[in-house]
Amino acid sequence: MITINGLNKIYTNGTKAVDQLSLQINEREILALLGPNGAGKSSTIKILTTLSGFDDGEVTVAGYDIDREPEKVRQSIGYVAQETGVDYFLTGRENLELQGHLYRMKKPEIKSRIEELGQYFEIADVLDNLVSSYSGGMRRKLDIATALIHRPKILFLDEPTLGLDTQSRQSLWKYIRKLNDELGLTILLTTHYLEEADKLSNRVAIIDKGHIKVIDKPDALKDDISGDVVSLQFQDPQNKNDIVNAMRSNDFVMDTMWEKDKLHLYVSNGATSIPRLIENCNEIKADVINVSYQRPTLDDVFIKYTGSSIDATEEGEEKWWEKWAGKGGGGMWAKKWQQANAESEDDAKVWTTEEAEEWHKNKNWSKEEAAEWNDNKQWTAEESAAWHAEQKNEAKTDTKEASGIDNPSDDKELTKEASEDWHKNKEWSQEEAAQWNQNKQWSAEESAAWHSDKDDSQSAKKKKQDSETSWPKNN
Amino acid sequence: MLADTWYLFNKYVKISMRMPLWSLFSLIQPLLWLFIFGALFNNFATLPGFPADTYIDYFVPGVLIMTVLFGSSWAGVSLLREISAGTVDKMLVSPASRTAIVLSRVLHSAVQAVIQAFIVLVAAWLMGANTNFNPVYIFMAMFVILLLGIAFAALSNGLAIKLQREEPLVIMGNLMTLPLMFFSSAMVPEQFMPNWIHAIGSFNPIEYATSAVRAALSTTPDFHAFSIGFGVTLLFAVGTLYWAISAFKSIQD
Repeated sequence: MITINGLNKIYTNGTKAVDQLSLQINEREILALLGPNGAGKSSTIKILTTLSGFDDGEVTVAGYDIDREPEKVRQSIGYVAQETGVDYFLTGRENLELQGHLYRMKKPEIKSRIEELGQYFEIADVLDNLVSSYSGGMRRKLDIATALIHRPKILFLDEPTLGLDTQSRQSLWKYIRKLNDELGLTILLTTHYLEEADKLSNRVAIIDKGHIKVIDKPDALKDDISGDVVSLQFQDPQNKNDIVNAMRSNDFVMDTMWEKDKLHLYVSNGATSIPRLIENCNEIKADVINVSYQRPTLDDVFIKYTGSSIDATEEGEEKWWEKWAGKGGGGMWAKKWQQANAESEDDAKVWTTEEAEEWHKNKNWSKEEAAEWNDNKQWTAEESAAWHAEQKNEAKTDTKEASGIDNPSDDKELTKEASEDWHKNKEWSQEEAAQWNQNKQWSAEESAAWHSDKDDSQSAKKKKQDSETSWPKNN
Repeated sequence: MLADTWYLFNKYVKISMRMPLWSLFSLIQPLLWLFIFGALFNNFATLPGFPADTYIDYFVPGVLIMTVLFGSSWAGVSLLREISAGTVDKMLVSPASRTAIVLSRVLHSAVQAVIQAFIVLVAAWLMGANTNFNPVYIFMAMFVILLLGIAFAALSNGLAIKLQREEPLVIMGNLMTLPLMFFSSAMVPEQFMPNWIHAIGSFNPIEYATSAVRAALSTTPDFHAFSIGFGVTLLFAVGTLYWAISAFKSIQD
């Protein structure tokens, strides 16, 4: 239905919009030209619809040479542009009528065709309203209807669902499929929505830099990728070639493709190959920060043939603060953000005192840790006093507990020797001694001996006290 | 081609009819001129050698020309809007005649200018201007105005295609209309002009259109002056139209 051979188009500003493009579109098929903005989709469509000239190549549309018989080409095609090609200040019917007249149709023919199209696209009720009151989806439908007024064989749709909400988009897909099924229209559509190309078209042609990279059925393209896609995201990969070489050393890796810091690997079996791939990365000390694995999608097909994801070409890649810093504005905040980022990566968290206390309470300290901590800790006087007081109490309970276990008199019948031995060796505390004194039934000899000892020590004590107190007086 | 022109012309008329207020709005300016200049330059007529009894008698043909100039010189702006809205592409993919697309636009703004000029003429009559209100002569004058409208609408459309942007188009529109008007006898009789302005005026198509309209509306119509002015205006209109159409056809490359 459409044959393109070696088509070239260079704009006057030197941009090569179409570069040696060749394409064959069969009767009754829906072909999607898939590519990012500026890939040459619209330029190609404009040439095919006679809207734009070309520099070189051979193009026939509906069997007519586009250069020699543009009038006949125009009669056999319908075109829906990216912009809504309907007049806002006319009603839907007036738009359709005008289009019918421009295609040299007779009045009664136009009238019956408008009824038909109004019903087909379910816009019959609103045909007499001004287009400016239509919703986006309705406007699109009217736009397609005006393109079909003269019963063309081929319909060109340039980004037909651009700017429509999901619901209108899906409803429009339904109509496009119906036009192909029921009316046998050959449809060439351009899109940068993968889903649209996947669901709608019989064949997809991936176009990049004005050239068709690959063309096949969507499923065949996905099958061709064969197996799964494992994506490894690296922390700042410097040595991309080394990484690729390491990966390629595995025979299950069939293809590799870099997308910024992500390496997409086409492997025969994703699940079993991931551990091996990670191992490889560790061997060459490449820092993998993310691993994902999926069945191939049309986006993978796209990446394989163009080297970039179709979404990546649409949006900026930089983080906003990088952009900001790059423009010389807001340096302070940019630095703060970068710092925060770096710190969280180094695991150097800044603790609040509450957090720290909470953490200390919950931690089970090993002896070594505790010792190390004590060494490093600089004690304040209060802390030190509190600690010592606590320590004393602990010591007391300790000795009590110990005496409870160790004190043989409580639960043991001691031999006299053992008892005496024990008494000699024991270092008595005063309390213990007092308590012992009270409990002891003294024998007369013992008492006399003790009293004589006592007197001696007491008189000695008194002498010492006197000399001490009198001494300053003599001075 | 004629059928296409007719259908497209109808479309523009319909669109204009749907915003009548806007069309009326563009009448305010020439009516103000008629009123303000008429009062401002009233004493001119007392100068010796002034070719009319009152200034307003002299100024009526001039204000009609100004109405056309300022009405038609912006015609290209709406072409740019149609291009960005995609409706021009829609016409271009159809077998519609490319000449018809330009012709319908140009005719539409020229006819609009004629209607406005007619309303201004009625206002002048209400203000008591002493000009020739014989329908035949009015028709002759309006025909010249139509041709001048075609010429300036064509210039503006052609420039729109060449410049591709609204801002420079508006600047060019201003640059075209004001100086051309002052280099003509629309406001000041040629006897009162410095020689060098008069000399430039003889290359100015507006000067010829003005003299033709003045010759037709004069109480003593001058057929000789009319046919010279008419002829030059016709040539000017055909030339600019041809240029605009070929500029439009070059869009496709």
